[in-house]
Amino acid sequence: MRRVPHEMLQGTVDILVLRALAGEAMHGYAISRWLGQRSDGVLTVDGAALYQALHRLERQKWVTSSWGLSENNRKAKYYTLTRVGRTQLRTEAAVWQDYAAAVARVLSPG
Amino acid sequence: MRRPARNFRFPWRSRDQIARDVDRELAFHLEMRIGELMRDGMEEDAARDRATLEFGDLDFTRRYCRNQDEQDDRATRWSDRIASLGYDLRHAARSLRRTPAFTAVAILTIALVLGANTAVFSAARAVLLRPLPYRDPGALMAVWEKSLAGSFVGNAPLSPPDYQDYRAQQHVFTDIAAYSDAQVTWLPTRGDPQLVRAAEVTGNMFNLLEAVPRAGRILLPSDAAPQAPDVAVISSGLFDRAFAGDADRLGKSLILNRRPVRIVGVMRPEFSFGYQADVWLPLDLTKDLADAGRTRKQHWLHGVARLRSGTTVDAATHDLAVIAKRLATAYPDADSNRVAAVASLRWWLVGSSSSGLVLLQGAALLVLLIACANVANLTLSRALDRRRDLAVRAALGSGQGRLIRQVLTESILVAAVGGLLGVALAYAATRWLLSLDPNALPGPFPATVDTTVLAFGAALAMGTGLLSGLAPALAISRMDLQQALREGGRGSSGGRGVERARRALVIAQIALAVALLIGAGLLVRSFRALDAVKLGFASDHVITAQLSVSGVRYDTAATVNRFYDETLGELAPLPGVVAVGAADNLPTQGEMGTSVRIEGQVNDEANLPDMGYISVRGDYFRALRVPLLAGRLFTNSDDSMAPAVAVINETALHKYFPRGAIGKRVHIGPTATGPAITIVGVVGDMHGGGPGDSVRPTLFPYHRQQAWQTSLTLAVRSRGNPTALTAALRRAVHHADPSVAIQDIATLDAVTAKSLAARRFALALVTGFAALALALATVGIYGVLAYLVAGRRREFGVRLALGATRRSLIALVLRQGLSWAAAGLALGLAVAAAERALLASSLYGVTAGDPVTWVGVVATLLGVVTAACLIPAIRATRVDPAVTMRAE
Repeated sequence: MRRVPHEMLQGTVDILVLRALAGEAMHGYAISRWLGQRSDGVLTVDGAALYQALHRLERQKWVTSSWGLSENNRKAKYYTLTRVGRTQLRTEAAVWQDYAAAVARVLSPG
Repeated sequence: MRRPARNFRFPWRSRDQIARDVDRELAFHLEMRIGELMRDGMEEDAARDRATLEFGDLDFTRRYCRNQDEQDDRATRWSDRIASLGYDLRHAARSLRRTPAFTAVAILTIALVLGANTAVFSAARAVLLRPLPYRDPGALMAVWEKSLAGSFVGNAPLSPPDYQDYRAQQHVFTDIAAYSDAQVTWLPTRGDPQLVRAAEVTGNMFNLLEAVPRAGRILLPSDAAPQAPDVAVISSGLFDRAFAGDADRLGKSLILNRRPVRIVGVMRPEFSFGYQADVWLPLDLTKDLADAGRTRKQHWLHGVARLRSGTTVDAATHDLAVIAKRLATAYPDADSNRVAAVASLRWWLVGSSSSGLVLLQGAALLVLLIACANVANLTLSRALDRRRDLAVRAALGSGQGRLIRQVLTESILVAAVGGLLGVALAYAATRWLLSLDPNALPGPFPATVDTTVLAFGAALAMGTGLLSGLAPALAISRMDLQQALREGGRGSSGGRGVERARRALVIAQIALAVALLIGAGLLVRSFRALDAVKLGFASDHVITAQLSVSGVRYDTAATVNRFYDETLGELAPLPGVVAVGAADNLPTQGEMGTSVRIEGQVNDEANLPDMGYISVRGDYFRALRVPLLAGRLFTNSDDSMAPAVAVINETALHKYFPRGAIGKRVHIGPTATGPAITIVGVVGDMHGGGPGDSVRPTLFPYHRQQAWQTSLTLAVRSRGNPTALTAALRRAVHHADPSVAIQDIATLDAVTAKSLAARRFALALVTGFAALALALATVGIYGVLAYLVAGRRREFGVRLALGATRRSLIALVLRQGLSWAAAGLALGLAVAAAERALLASSLYGVTAGDPVTWVGVVATLLGVVTAACLIPAIRATRVDPAVTMRAE
């Protein structure tokens, strides 16, 4: 599998971050690790795009943040999905799935 | 997943805090990555370089994140503020509901005074502030002439030739136009003929006003040319009445004064010009100008001019003065001692009603201030009662600012509710008042409650809330709440700050009330003086109606005479009719004037006597019960073939005929060169221009011999109820000519009362304000004293136990209350002395220093205040020492 180029990732970072937080509260580094593992290294979001997305999402009230202790006992900023964020994730995920399926159908040989 | 508590939120962060947080968060990310890479075997420096490279644009991200956080924080702050305001409001509402008596009194007080203020403002604004319904109305000027000496000293309209000369020679106006008020008879397709108010305007008038019609066109100079077809522009109101608003009917004709007149334009509803005119007719001055030798002395044109941009009123006055001097030299006979006057059109139209409105608004604002003081005092008393509650809240960590805000929020909430009620009250009151007398306000000034008035009411309510809440809030902030907590909220006073605030408020209230009472007292005394004026005629049992005959059929005196003879002749013999007469103006409705030359006397040509001129016919003087003092009244033999005769009033006799008037011959007209009229009788004085004016020497010519005036007002004296004659009156007019319009059928009592109506109304308002002010001030002083006495029960108990008499206790409390009253009185008298100049122009028959008023107000106030103080004073003596002291 090849890594997805930067330009293609833009525009999807927000929804990927929301999805990452759907399970439990995480700090930024954990989110990037989770994304890499879950996509088998295909979707690697760089730090710049990730933190910009997190602060953008917080301003939109889709996530909230609080300081907590990380697994190695250091202060880290944890993000939690809000109720509106969860709703947003549901609608956007549906749109993305339709979109991806349509692109796949168009690109399929024959 | 744990949901955060709904109200939990990080406290707001500073810019630096945000920057530090972002830096720390990004650093954590990099450290984690570096650690991971080093665990994979990388050197630390290489790992740091790699991690930084992987991260991407670190600087931009840092800026971006800070920016997002700062904006988020700002938004949060605002929503927090709104939320806390909502909390304050809810809390205020709850706490106000717990003291319903206080809340009701405060809201009602504020509703009343705000309602009064808003209602007065809606009228004052209409007259004083709203722009006239023309383009650039500030540049519009009224132009008239002033006579400095001669028979008519004072203001006069322009004469047509003077108008033409000023117009041609001036350099300061874009143009001067002129108009004259008139009446026309309109014959609708269905129903009775109606009298309609009209204005005849020179052809350039509408262009000068830059008036825009609703439909059709405005009047143009070509319409005023000789031989131009008959056209008119009418108001929206008349158009809707005549054509049911059907726009296609534009260009059709209305029958005005028996001639078809083509309607070429309809003005917008808000347009008005002339005295309540519904019809505007072009005014052709050609004939008048051709006969300038005669018409230069006939002053009947009201001039309207538009200042050129950059020109001032002073410059215009100066320019016209130069022309006036030229005219005086050229026409010494007509124009010597005459100057032109210029003033803003608004000032000219508003005239005397402005000072009355300023007076009313001032009075209303004074009452508002008193009400503020009262509500402030109530709030203070309430705050003292709640000291324990406030102390607990302070102890629980509510800051001083927070407590002040809470008190202010309550005051503003009370004021807002009161204001809402008040504006509703004002709306209803304004509509009701205008329905009583739609002509109460002068000229083109509709008084309505609209957004500006509402904004005024809202601003006033806000101010009231702040004003009535500020003093209590500050006083509370100085209160020793710790002590309150210890005392368990039972203590007597809230400390020196509160005491001082309460005392100042009571004194201010009394001072304001005194100022208002003196103003109202003076106005009441003037009104009494007005009412006491003997009218000189009996207004009871008389019905009046205005008639106007017009058109080609009434071009000759014979036809006019036939109409009035028939009408009066049919009414006179009816059972129940005592006497029937007619005059061109009823007493209290004003009159025309004329110069008079008396035969056999040396007349000063530059200073001919000036007399009022009222044509009468029939049994007019008997109908009004005006006594004949000498000579005779008119008889049937005084017809158009007989020598012309007239009657004069007593004042004319004393002023101009020191050796008797009967048989004297006079000449009248602008130059007093008309045919001779013989004076045959002298009648008692009638107050012609309204009771406020002094009686003018008046000449009453016999209308049968001088029938050039076609509009007369009938006056019929009846044995019983005069309104019972209405149908007979209509029938008589209808028999004489069914196309003649009858207007304004009213009893003479009503006509006379109307001349006083505006004054009576303003007086009722001011008196009402003053009474309200007195009541508020009394309640205020009572409330404070009662509270004081209640707080000092224990002290009084001790005093009684130690042998003080009840009398001495009453004196103690009274002394306290009366010392406040005295201070307020002194202050109020000083204010009243200052307002004297403002009042002087509204007074009649009393001086501003009228001792009866001043002494009366002082006595009334002291009496009322003493009574208000006596109640708590007596209550102070009802203390049972044993009980109060045990209670502690």
